[in-house]
Amino acid sequence: MRYDSVIIGGGLSGLVCGLRLAKAGKRCVIISAGQSALHFSSGSFDLLGALPSGESVGSPAERVAQLIEQEPSHPYAKIGAEAFVETAEAAKQTLVDAGVRVSGDAAQNHYRLTPMGTLKATWLTLDGYVRSATEEGLEWKNVVVMNAEGFLDFYTQFIVDELRKKGTTCRVCSFSLAALDAIRNNPTEMRSANIARIFDGEECIAQLSEIISREAGDSDAVLLPAFLGINRYDVLDELKRRTGRECAVIATLPPSVPGIRTQIALRRAFERAGGVYMLGDTVAGYDEKDGRIERVYTVNHGDIGFSADEFVLATGSFFSRGLEATREAVIEPLFGVDVEQAASRGEWFERDLFAKQPFESFGVATDGEFRALRGGKPLQNLYVCGAGLSGYNPLTEGCGAGVSMLSAVRVSDNILKR
Amino acid sequence: MQKEFDVIIIGGGATGAGVARDCALRGIRALLLERFDIATGATGRNHGLLHSGARYAVNDHESAEECIRENMILRRIASHCVEETGGLFISLPEDGLDFQAKFITACRAAGIAAEAIDPKQALRMEPSVNPALIGAVTVPDGSVDPFRLTAANVLDAKLHGAEVLTYQEVSELIMEQGRVVGVRALDRKSGEMREYRARITVNAGGIWGHNIAKKAGVTVNMLPAKGALLIFGHRVNNVVINRCRKPADADILVPGDTISLIGTTSSKVPFDEVDDMYVTADEVDLLLREGMKLAPSLEHTRILRAYAGVRPLVASDDDPSGRSVSRGIVVLDHATRDGVEGFITITGGKLMTYRLMGEWTTDLICKKLGVEAKCTTAERPLPGSRKEERERTEKKIHALPTLQRESSLHRHGDMAERVEATTAAKRSIVCECEEVSVGEVEYAINALEVNNLVDLRRRTRVGMGTCQGELCACRAAGLMAEMGRYCTSRAKQDLAAFINERWKGMAPVAWGDTLRESEFTKWLYGGVCGLTTKKEEE
Repeated sequence: MRYDSVIIGGGLSGLVCGLRLAKAGKRCVIISAGQSALHFSSGSFDLLGALPSGESVGSPAERVAQLIEQEPSHPYAKIGAEAFVETAEAAKQTLVDAGVRVSGDAAQNHYRLTPMGTLKATWLTLDGYVRSATEEGLEWKNVVVMNAEGFLDFYTQFIVDELRKKGTTCRVCSFSLAALDAIRNNPTEMRSANIARIFDGEECIAQLSEIISREAGDSDAVLLPAFLGINRYDVLDELKRRTGRECAVIATLPPSVPGIRTQIALRRAFERAGGVYMLGDTVAGYDEKDGRIERVYTVNHGDIGFSADEFVLATGSFFSRGLEATREAVIEPLFGVDVEQAASRGEWFERDLFAKQPFESFGVATDGEFRALRGGKPLQNLYVCGAGLSGYNPLTEGCGAGVSMLSAVRVSDNILKR
Repeated sequence: MQKEFDVIIIGGGATGAGVARDCALRGIRALLLERFDIATGATGRNHGLLHSGARYAVNDHESAEECIRENMILRRIASHCVEETGGLFISLPEDGLDFQAKFITACRAAGIAAEAIDPKQALRMEPSVNPALIGAVTVPDGSVDPFRLTAANVLDAKLHGAEVLTYQEVSELIMEQGRVVGVRALDRKSGEMREYRARITVNAGGIWGHNIAKKAGVTVNMLPAKGALLIFGHRVNNVVINRCRKPADADILVPGDTISLIGTTSSKVPFDEVDDMYVTADEVDLLLREGMKLAPSLEHTRILRAYAGVRPLVASDDDPSGRSVSRGIVVLDHATRDGVEGFITITGGKLMTYRLMGEWTTDLICKKLGVEAKCTTAERPLPGSRKEERERTEKKIHALPTLQRESSLHRHGDMAERVEATTAAKRSIVCECEEVSVGEVEYAINALEVNNLVDLRRRTRVGMGTCQGELCACRAAGLMAEMGRYCTSRAKQDLAAFINERWKGMAPVAWGDTLRESEFTKWLYGGVCGLTTKKEEE
């Protein structure tokens, strides 16, 4: 099989990269092992929430130069402060063009409401999620927080207590629906994605609308767990239309229904642009000649290789198996390229899990073009984007999704320039 | 009015619980004080091995005899805590067979049924055993759940009138005219100091007993010995596997519930570290290296966590250098030993002999109080192990989904019927790995003295499966807050603390899937949920 570009990894980064290449007329294939980090998305995409020094960031656009100064190994350093806003804008546009409705601006972070009820700085948020322009509190002064009886992956009181502290009047409403009993009787099935499948049905939407109309009282908005609409996008709009109320959702424990929907939307857009998405396949080997990857082989396709001019490694970090930790060292399992890491296992961790963990910044070493290094030298046509990159902390710096998307944009640009 | 007690027992490990139960059954009014939760010290940090005594047979005949006697007693009185797996002592080529003959003779002399079998037969009995073995001996080893055992003793003590208070840290012994007449304790929940009085105070504080004794001005020379263990993600073996040689590091592999355990290392640690034991990378490597010799498949088995306990080794009174240590039971009557009336220290021993330690201590208490009653703890089954009740319970909860029913019975024995399961909401699963329902969590919170998520884990196994508390921790924190155990901001602190407690055990073994799991946990709680350990600004 012959392609212009082979992208290994079908998560946020691989999809953004693939979409841009396919739209530019490249023949692309994405080889995806399965689930990605989008399956436990918060509903938002972070760009830059704090500097390595710990100082919080209001405007990523204004502060990125400082970030690069403090942490020259950061992937944003390879994008550069000048091109940062433009690259972020291109990444956002890629989502919007794929039908993923997001809003937000690199010039100014806004705040998302966490399942713990706190407000956290972010860049883009999916439409329908509760968000706020400031950290001080919601724009709504009076809300009802609703949950389905027996759904344990969303705890209303966490949210209500925090919102009250920030001056919002809150009421809790627990509701039951006959249609939910069917899954509730099988106790392990009371999970967000299963509930969402039920709420995709017209009758359930009608019943939920009635409950909302009955319970909403004089509130400004009704807040629900993000368990609405897995195969359709309009459930929340339907609820708003039928009740004439503001309705918004808050992230639940995984799986993330809007995250899964985003993954599906991006994949469909990629396929519409002519890309081939191979789900459930894993790269198992490759041919290399003179520092160039010539083709890769997968488990499902055996000795039928995928040849291409460029290869993109978007396999993620540990969770997605883009990086693999053995007892001795962290390796990149597909190509055995260089991984930046601490010398011994004793130095991988901090005792407080919530602190900045050294292992979180381990990743594949790349040159200024995001090409993977092996033995310190770049492979000519193996690019790396996404969570597998080294030199940054996605959580403490609040930049995980940003690095994934912006590095994908830059890699696709670099490939198109060749 | 201050309640009156005959005895105050300090320490809620197996020993303290055993003393409390024995006292209660003999009509002595007992108060047990524990500074954290029950079974949090060495009791909860060992193999959970129901020793046959074979390990001690060659070097310590007396301990071996005690072990096998107690082993047989526990099978009767604590059947819901015990799994009768049987055990193997294997000889590897590097061990030779010389030890085996001596070993079998010594076992039999102690009353331990030890039978040499063909190595091929051993492999059929336990397919995970190292196929290179050149000899094998079967012994009546088994596994025992130390927490469940302690909890059952506490429960029975309470059923017979004892009072058990957790999160009460003894800060001072009240001395009057050279005798101990009570204690002052800090209530860790309210921050208040409380005073309790009794004619006798028993120091059952394990390694912490060293400092408790000091409060009475007496010296008990203890040596803290750290023992590290690894928990594997599934049940590698169904039969306990030991090495047939002189006891050494990492030579016992024990199956327990859904997992297997390898241990232990042994190293002296200073007293100021005993409250916070971390397992080092070197200890993990040693355990794994040695463990693989027992069962080679351990090399590729996921390790869930590493943990360490501190054994209270007691130096003989006549050897202040501490070189001659005993693993036997040590009952110290400080009246005769040090001239301090009303104070007893019970220490040394092992989990296996907790009941006997309780018996000896209570015998001494009875002598001092002039109570005639005889010990009955060896005959009376513990709550959870009462045969008729168990059969009745099984019938009562028959309608539950099989996995839930079995898990619940397994954890609570005949008390399982108290788990509410009449509605779908109560049957909803909180922890998928361990099949823990909302009803079971509520039962534990209401009836089993749960103050935080770690307490809840000990009682229900919430968060002990392969995911180490990924989703269940958050669900359980919600339920705890819902039931008014604490406010939501404490619930969130508790959640972060619980996740960090899990991390403490995971970090030393965080490679492969365990690191993947940890990264996910961090993304979920640190990222999506925005949870931190930073103090909230009010």
